[in-house]
Amino acid sequence: MYQYSEFDRTFVNQRVAHYRDQTARYLDGKLSDDEFLQLRLRNGLYIQRLAPMLRVAVPYGTLSSKQLHALAAISRDYDRGYGHLSTRQNMQFNWPAVADVPDILQALADVDMHAIQTSGSCIRNVTTDQFAGAAADESIDPRPFCELLRQWSTSHPEFEWLPRKFKIAVTGAKADRAAVGVHDIGMRIYGTAANPASAEIDIYAGGGLGRTPVLGALIRERLPVQHLLTYTEAIMRVYNRYGRRDNKYKARIKILVRALGADGFKAQVDAEWAHIKDSASKVPPEELQRLSQFFQPPLFVEQPDNAAALADLRFANPNFNRWLTHNISAHQAPGYAVVTLSTKSPGVPPGDVSAEQIDAVARWAAQFSYSEIRISHEQNFVLPHVPVSGLFELWQQACAMGLGSHNIGLLSDIICCPGGDYCSLANAKSLPVAEAIQRRFDDYDFQFDLGEIDLNISGCMNACGHHHVGHIGILGVDKKGQEFYQISLGGHAGHSGDAPQLGQIVGPSVARAEVCDVIDKILQVYLHNRFADESFLNCFSRIGMAPFKESIYAAAA
Amino acid sequence: MPQLLRKTEGQWAISEEPKSLWQSEAEWQSGQALLVAVDSEPSVEWLAASSISVDFPALTDGRGLSLAVLLRTRLNYRGDLVATGNVHEDIAHFLARCGYNVIELPEHKDLNTALQWIAPHTGFYQASVDSPAPVFSRTSG
Ligand code: SF4
Repeated sequence: MYQYSEFDRTFVNQRVAHYRDQTARYLDGKLSDDEFLQLRLRNGLYIQRLAPMLRVAVPYGTLSSKQLHALAAISRDYDRGYGHLSTRQNMQFNWPAVADVPDILQALADVDMHAIQTSGSCIRNVTTDQFAGAAADESIDPRPFCELLRQWSTSHPEFEWLPRKFKIAVTGAKADRAAVGVHDIGMRIYGTAANPASAEIDIYAGGGLGRTPVLGALIRERLPVQHLLTYTEAIMRVYNRYGRRDNKYKARIKILVRALGADGFKAQVDAEWAHIKDSASKVPPEELQRLSQFFQPPLFVEQPDNAAALADLRFANPNFNRWLTHNISAHQAPGYAVVTLSTKSPGVPPGDVSAEQIDAVARWAAQFSYSEIRISHEQNFVLPHVPVSGLFELWQQACAMGLGSHNIGLLSDIICCPGGDYCSLANAKSLPVAEAIQRRFDDYDFQFDLGEIDLNISGCMNACGHHHVGHIGILGVDKKGQEFYQISLGGHAGHSGDAPQLGQIVGPSVARAEVCDVIDKILQVYLHNRFADESFLNCFSRIGMAPFKESIYAAAA
Repeated sequence: MPQLLRKTEGQWAISEEPKSLWQSEAEWQSGQALLVAVDSEPSVEWLAASSISVDFPALTDGRGLSLAVLLRTRLNYRGDLVATGNVHEDIAHFLARCGYNVIELPEHKDLNTALQWIAPHTGFYQASVDSPAPVFSRTSG
């Protein structure tokens, strides 16, 4: 993991001091609500429907045990004893008091963390593959490059006041678990760990979900990595100068890319880049080596062959067997596994975790996973380096703490934004919909039979729940003051290594009470039409929308 | 008298100065003080201005920051660069790093606060007009 230098520590402490003074001036009446709004957003503080919400940056989703324990302590000391894993790999607290936030930020700074640029119209926390540095299908660990971008974008004087928020995602693996196609900038890195300075990057720009979902255009192929910052700077400058500022719904970079055309946009970026290509921001190879050192894999020890013992345990414990089937991913090192701990069980909002659970995950990481934890954008915890011999014990402990659900990738592993229960932008509630679906389709055998299905729910067009890229997407809409839900099918974020695809809307939106029935009909159409073990997505692309439409709306017509 | 901060020989201080006679781009002639909008395209002709002032429509409008960077690094403009309009005391440090050497605050604003926070950080991650070396050129090697 990246380790803060004295420079980083000083920087974050100075930022806390500045924000402490801003808060004091605000509480003193010297800053207006509007002025303070802009300052607090850039330090992670939203005011939501019920209370403030503080979004803590978890750079590219990576945390240490010590940091996770600190987050548990913050949730106890300043919140109601729980936290929320966001769809952008961050941790959110829902009930802090405005006056306490400087102290919370100091508590974060004390464990080398911050909440800088987690909201507001600026460059947000860079996200990546939650399995980075562990996944078997990875060509190069993207995190050194994410860290380079994190440092460069932190308090960047020129790009702190953009037309709109700006999200960068990076991947170094074959399967795109970072969804680079639906980000303002998406980066695909190719290279080898041995020589990070010779890595190359494909750069996509103008992707995004929200009101106008669109996939990013490939504007630069195989950019040598030393140009990573200068090329990003060129994109940011073109966007900062020419992105629309008159209408917040047209202010994202995707609108600019569309207005200029991908080629026109690329031409402007290239023209700008020609001026700065060899500036001081060109990254020296030593810097890439230096950053890569922080992300060296742990010293894995050779594991005894315990295949027989494991097979016995699987046989004796059906749920353990299921957990191994769904929650474990292949690791680069023999004898190790990547474990995803699911936060999804009926009655608990997806991504919500209690202080006790947070502490437990931090302890398990220390015991089983070299003190390293990841947060996935599917709102689950990941322990990236668990020896296979420790899996059974870890599973037992996870079950005892309510984190043992064996449902990763299944219907009940729902991605869901906070929606109308918390978010003041919402058109409709999302959490009760998630819960109703989880309860209705609680039967494991049914879920297992369905196989992999991503069901994503957003409470409004802003698409924090990534509904466009759900195999089944649910979007809350407002119809004359009533909560309705629009269902889409066939979206995916590019998980299987294919190019991502946006879902298609099935038809008129439905009332909340009908959502579960509609989902049931969709699933039945799939089950009746699939060939052998054909996945939901493949079946959908083969048979198309018509049979689903027919089944859902037939009776009404 | 406009209230402003001025940087002289690397030091920021509160300064009382008579108001300049700014001319908009349409009326301006070489040798005069030029007032431009944040969305102007910088032109080499501007180098003949006695000083250049950029009018910020809102504290959230970052176009004036990119404009300053272009003036300082692309056109190598060396004269007074003034941020004016809706300029905020907590944004002053960004303006300074992008190359403004004069920061004019609206009348109801407290110059002392702006001066106090003109440099909240002692070091920076990225290169900018006022600190041209990024952090890695100082840490590596
Ligand atoms: S999708 Fe809408 S309702 Fe949900 S969290 Fe985002 S802004 Fe709020």
